[in-house]
Amino acid sequence: MANTSLTELERDVANMIIEALELEDITADDIEPEAPLFGDGLGLDSIDALELGLALQKRYGIRLDSDAEENREHFASLRQLSALVAERRSD
Amino acid sequence: MDCLSHADTALPVLYLHRWRAWLPERAGEDMPACIITDEKPAASSVPALLRRRLTPLGRAVCTLLGDMAAHERTTMPVLHASRHGDGHRPLDMLDTLFEGEPISPARFGLSVHNAVLGVYSIAFGNHTSMAALAAAGEEFEALLSEARGYLFDGRDSVMLILTDSPVPDRYRIQTQAPQSPSAMLMELSLAPAPDAVRLEARSVDNSENRGQIVTPPLLADWLMDREYLITRTPPLCWQAMTGMETPHTG
Repeated sequence: MANTSLTELERDVANMIIEALELEDITADDIEPEAPLFGDGLGLDSIDALELGLALQKRYGIRLDSDAEENREHFASLRQLSALVAERRSD
Repeated sequence: MDCLSHADTALPVLYLHRWRAWLPERAGEDMPACIITDEKPAASSVPALLRRRLTPLGRAVCTLLGDMAAHERTTMPVLHASRHGDGHRPLDMLDTLFEGEPISPARFGLSVHNAVLGVYSIAFGNHTSMAALAAAGEEFEALLSEARGYLFDGRDSVMLILTDSPVPDRYRIQTQAPQSPSAMLMELSLAPAPDAVRLEARSVDNSENRGQIVTPPLLADWLMDREYLITRTPPLCWQAMTGMETPHTG
């Protein structure tokens, strides 16, 4: 069922997450935009965080400092991550 | 005890209680139930978030281990030997590095030789002794040696895993590798059981009888056909006999 609450950018970021993390049997519409990506929500782990950092760099030209405190906020949900992309993309 | 020192010099006898294999190259052929041939085994006992990082080879090992050990709170040591690990993945990363591109952290994390056992351990909550071996083509011999170490140290049984994997084409000139991946699991002990297969070794002359590299398909053929299996170091001729057959003498 199409999740109409996703913006075009959020859908694009969701597809990046699915491809980069090789998520099985999950489509962009399955990712709740406000749900946590890590831990209880989608269930991603710390290696996924590194993998997402690499994907952001490749796809949108965004380089994150791996030690930065605000990464936790950027990676909190699909919506937060999409906001980061909108603000910092240089592709 | 006297039996230990005696066993060190005696020719090995082991008992095979169960075996299962993954031979995708034989898909479509008539195979016994203990052989699976799916190109990408389900590994349904592994949570999806762990499973997604496994190659078909890793999924096969977890599928077979799940079939053989999931219903027991097993403390059986698990030994995995493979010549090239997960063949393509680590070698492909070298290409990526050569091109100056960043490598995938998830793939890097799973490029180590004990990665499949690590995922199995996490997925099944099994924290028993596990080891990953490589032995330049003598992986099966190394597994037997390691297994006998555990068994003579008092373990009841040991789970052996032998896997083989293709390598990228440009490495083929340097090494022997199959076209198709494969896996073999064998549960061995020193104790006879009514349905166990007795694996009995006798000496062979090394100069005359140089065995081929023991691979999962070779082991499966041996166990199905009951012909001889020659290992290299030490050079031994192995015979597989069910309880109904008379053990070899002389």
